[in-house]
Amino acid sequence: MRLAIGLGLSLPLLAQVDFATTIHPILATRCAPCHSGLKPQAGFSVETRESILRSIKPFKPDESVLLRRIKAGQMPPVDGKLTDSQIADVEKWIAKGAPWTNTLPAEPPLWIAPIKPRTPPVPANQMSNPIDKFIADYFARHERPFPDVVDDAQFVRRATLDIWGMVPSPEETKKFIADNDRGRLIDSLLSDRKKYAGHWISFWNDLLRNDQGVNYAGTRKSITPWLKGALENNMPFNEMASALLNPVKPTDPDGFLIGVNWRGDINASQTPFMQAAQNSAQVFLGVNLKCASCHDSFINKYKLQQSYALAAMFADTSDLELVRCDAKTGRHTGPEFLFPEVAEKPASNSLADRRKAAALSFTSPEDGRFTRTLVNRYWQRLFGFGLVPNVDDMDAQPWDDDLLDWLAADFAQHNYDLQYLIRLIMTSRTYGLPAVSEKFPDYTFRGPKLRRLTAEQFSDSLSEMTGEWRVSQSGEKAAYAREWELKPTSLSRAMGRPIRDQVFTTREDAATTLQALELVNGDTLAIVLKRGALRLLGDLPDAPQNLFDSRRMNQGSKPLNIDITGAKQLWLLVDDAGCYDPSRTVAGWINLQVDGKPLAPATGILTTDKVKHEGSIITPVGSLVMYPIEGLTRLTGAVGVDDGARSSDINPNVRFFVFTEKPDLERLLRVSGDPPTVLPKPSRDPKVLIDQLYWEALSRRPNPREAAVAMKLLTKDGKVTQGGLEDLIWSLVMHPEFQYVQ
Amino acid sequence: MFNNSRRGFMRASAGATLAALAGNQARLLAGPKIEPRADSVILLWMAGGMAQTETFDPKKFTPYETGLASDKVLSTFPSIDTVVDNIKISQGLENIAKIMDRGTLIRSHRVGDLGFILHSRHQYHWHTGYAPPQSVAAPHMGAVISRTLGPRNPDLPAFVDIGQNIEIGGESDGLKAFHTAGFLGSEHGPFFITDPRDAASSTRPSEYVGATRFASRYQLYKQLVEASSFQQESLRRSIDNAHRLLNSQAAKAFDLSLEPQKSFDKYNTGRFGQGCLLARRLVEQGARFVEVTSEYIPFRYWDTHENGHTRAAGMKQSIDMPVAQLIRDLEERGLLNRTLVILASEFGRDMICEGKPGQEVKNQVDQPPVMTEPKHYGMHRHFTEAGSVLLFGGGMKRGFLYGKTAEERPCRILENPVTIEDLHATIYHALGIAADTAYDVEKRPFYVTKDGKGKAVMPLFA
Repeated sequence: MRLAIGLGLSLPLLAQVDFATTIHPILATRCAPCHSGLKPQAGFSVETRESILRSIKPFKPDESVLLRRIKAGQMPPVDGKLTDSQIADVEKWIAKGAPWTNTLPAEPPLWIAPIKPRTPPVPANQMSNPIDKFIADYFARHERPFPDVVDDAQFVRRATLDIWGMVPSPEETKKFIADNDRGRLIDSLLSDRKKYAGHWISFWNDLLRNDQGVNYAGTRKSITPWLKGALENNMPFNEMASALLNPVKPTDPDGFLIGVNWRGDINASQTPFMQAAQNSAQVFLGVNLKCASCHDSFINKYKLQQSYALAAMFADTSDLELVRCDAKTGRHTGPEFLFPEVAEKPASNSLADRRKAAALSFTSPEDGRFTRTLVNRYWQRLFGFGLVPNVDDMDAQPWDDDLLDWLAADFAQHNYDLQYLIRLIMTSRTYGLPAVSEKFPDYTFRGPKLRRLTAEQFSDSLSEMTGEWRVSQSGEKAAYAREWELKPTSLSRAMGRPIRDQVFTTREDAATTLQALELVNGDTLAIVLKRGALRLLGDLPDAPQNLFDSRRMNQGSKPLNIDITGAKQLWLLVDDAGCYDPSRTVAGWINLQVDGKPLAPATGILTTDKVKHEGSIITPVGSLVMYPIEGLTRLTGAVGVDDGARSSDINPNVRFFVFTEKPDLERLLRVSGDPPTVLPKPSRDPKVLIDQLYWEALSRRPNPREAAVAMKLLTKDGKVTQGGLEDLIWSLVMHPEFQYVQ
Repeated sequence: MFNNSRRGFMRASAGATLAALAGNQARLLAGPKIEPRADSVILLWMAGGMAQTETFDPKKFTPYETGLASDKVLSTFPSIDTVVDNIKISQGLENIAKIMDRGTLIRSHRVGDLGFILHSRHQYHWHTGYAPPQSVAAPHMGAVISRTLGPRNPDLPAFVDIGQNIEIGGESDGLKAFHTAGFLGSEHGPFFITDPRDAASSTRPSEYVGATRFASRYQLYKQLVEASSFQQESLRRSIDNAHRLLNSQAAKAFDLSLEPQKSFDKYNTGRFGQGCLLARRLVEQGARFVEVTSEYIPFRYWDTHENGHTRAAGMKQSIDMPVAQLIRDLEERGLLNRTLVILASEFGRDMICEGKPGQEVKNQVDQPPVMTEPKHYGMHRHFTEAGSVLLFGGGMKRGFLYGKTAEERPCRILENPVTIEDLHATIYHALGIAADTAYDVEKRPFYVTKDGKGKAVMPLFA
């Protein structure tokens, strides 16, 4: 008390210092890195109250060595003195008797996660699916009955969302209800590999930090073609992991090990090979090495040396110096796998041999952690909650370790077949249980967690309902695309599609106001709804084809000579293809002639390649002009970007198009291929539309009250309006029943 | 490998984390303990690297002559007096000169040494306090403040970001990487107003829907949901919140057409000026954190790789009037005391020195040793040793100058360097947030200043 007043801290001393929020973080971050574990520095450990009492006298701060040391700045010896407020907190805490809160009521049994595979016997009971046998025992142990499964309509919706990532069409739903064979449904869904891959690729992209159209200033490489192929061909998971960890063929996914890099100097814990160590450990083993990349971890058992040893399996050199919190230590390590009991030693120190050894170690049949981690991720994905709740901490205890171990071993025995695993889980009664809201921290399995649609499921389902698929365009090609194939929009970001600079293993699913603003008022959704409504009404005309496409131009000119026989209009478009400053970009049409006569009066002079073109039609970037014509056959001339615009702060980038009808700005190029799903039949009958949209969105028909409200939304004076249709679709996709998987 | 007592230690903090664990909610580890001096923040971001010697830290002026050696030039503008005796700033900032008595000028802001200069990377560093890459998604300062203090007015987004187009080609991903709430959750992310001229439309029913349909759609939607047996309270609440916000009195702050013409004109130097006006209107209605950027687009605005003199003149013209007016208006409305206004940039500029003096990095600009045409005249290289920062209100001293740089190249900091960590600690301190406030992510503490080590620069406070 006396001391504290000396520090000018009279009143606050009376306040409680909360051990868990105030003292524990100090001990954990500043003391535990050295003073913990089997061999704590100076034999002094801060891990328990008992051990810390060696250095502390409760109620007597001035007799406590620990406080004296930290006040003198002797401790901690690295990273600077504790702040005055931290020191004051420690002092207050000691003065209060150094209370040590154990916030858990009872000590849970210790758990040491096994590494090697284990095949526990499948319980004997009347269930047929092995998962159900384990869960039946689980329910029996928890004195609960095995609940009834959801009805067929709910089931087909859930299963289609889980395998294809979109809601089923009414035809598919009704066919299944008539057929009533859940196994056959799962098989049929899994057999459409394109749709299956189009859903699961987002899970893998999150995991492997892969994204569309991401263009960092430093190195980053897409693995999309490989990943898409791997899923469509149902590549065994151990082969996938081998290719990711040891890319040897030109088509192998070397982007995974390259990581996300920025130009310039990088913090020692974030070098490409440290990223490779962190990512491979997290993705494939459920081990968080992020702490242990700077110092021995204080949240798990992993050491700095282990992180560097794993990194040395991927680094340019086989010998790495350990860097502790950005300070070199002088200690070195060679390549080692995290779990010595299943490690394969590299045949030589060459990078090729080290990577090969890494791939063999991770995927070793003796490495049960590898398969446990994967089956737990899939369980989490399909049930909303892992057998080990934190899917990135596989050292933690599963709520049913026999089931986890059996699933992992069974998965390996079935050749690491991902579709087999999905089928096994999804054909269980357990998967078919009604969704429940989970309760923490005393989790007891009662059924799948109520899951929110992901950004991709939301967008793709909306497209499925309306038949309006967006288009991805790369260079000269345009194709219908699912959400994952397109660059993220403000809508998909708001709905939880992550910025994949880090590994993401779960998605945010909270409903937030910012997200709702995007859903309620965002243009991205509004445009899709509008086009979707037009399409459902049969009012969306086919996009006219362009007669001329200059491709992207940043300088110079290109000739133009096209047949316009029969055209009544000429539409000239200068599209912005990535100018830094479109307002200062000067681009235009040079010497345009129709059948040898000038098309329009001259508007200016364009200089391309130092050649002056007088009488050019200069139009602002983004502008669309139309000329009525009649009985003409040929348009000639050129398009060009003015030399004066070629400065770094303007960075001109334009694309010229000629159409003979008003262009659809969303579809400037011919779209090749088929849309991902069969398009719904257009209709103007309100009853048909309401019924169809309810089946699409919610896999059921509307009840009479709903049908009446839907009619009010959809029609005016008994007639379907386009706006009304947009509003009905909006109301359905905002419906909780749509956005959650029951 | 294992030892029982270690587990016991970890368990001590496990109880509270467990609930958050599966939901991935970041948990606040230590709450604010400092008496706040400010409730709102306006960050005026000079994106692209504002040349300090052409703005708030003028050096010897050398007029352009053909044949002049580049290394002879430190400033391309003469300096002017301000209302504070010992503070002179650069010509072209006459309006700000008149309000220097309301603020503090730091001339010794020293940003990170990240090697190769990359604007988006330095901006990431400045806005999050951490240099990328990071092993967890680091949150923007606005998100940290939003998460820690919450909205001041629930009818306004707590974090509004004005003026930055996020699709800018090659560096888009670099910008997106820090315009985010990161692990704090998208709830705390920025509400983007790319162009203040369109701000009203972002809080008005979309033109695709229209006001009438917008209102009736919502009413019928509620009936439709009530007619179903399945409800989910959190989703309904978010939709209700969005509608309430869009119809609120506070949201009218977004509509610049409601500002009297005379006042509007005082700000109207273009998008940035209008952004300042929007920021003022939002703070009046209770916004928590507003960033107004001059916008980063490679080689544009403050990113002067050539023609630096002419372009700096243009940039000063775009900021001088609105910044001064913003301070005056806040003061007049009695808001300046509780609003911290910060003007900062990712680094300064120089005609010769790239990066930090004495630490060679790749030169990105071909600055000829001898200038042969006016476009060579200006601060074209990226100088990370020293930059200037203005602070107004929020408990800061008035008419105060802090830090000093050398009068001769390389114009190093001579006294009182202020790092990003310390500047952030100062900003957080003004808001009552301790520099070592931490959030729990993946069971580790993530501090609001790097490793919790930022130290508020107390001499800056009144």
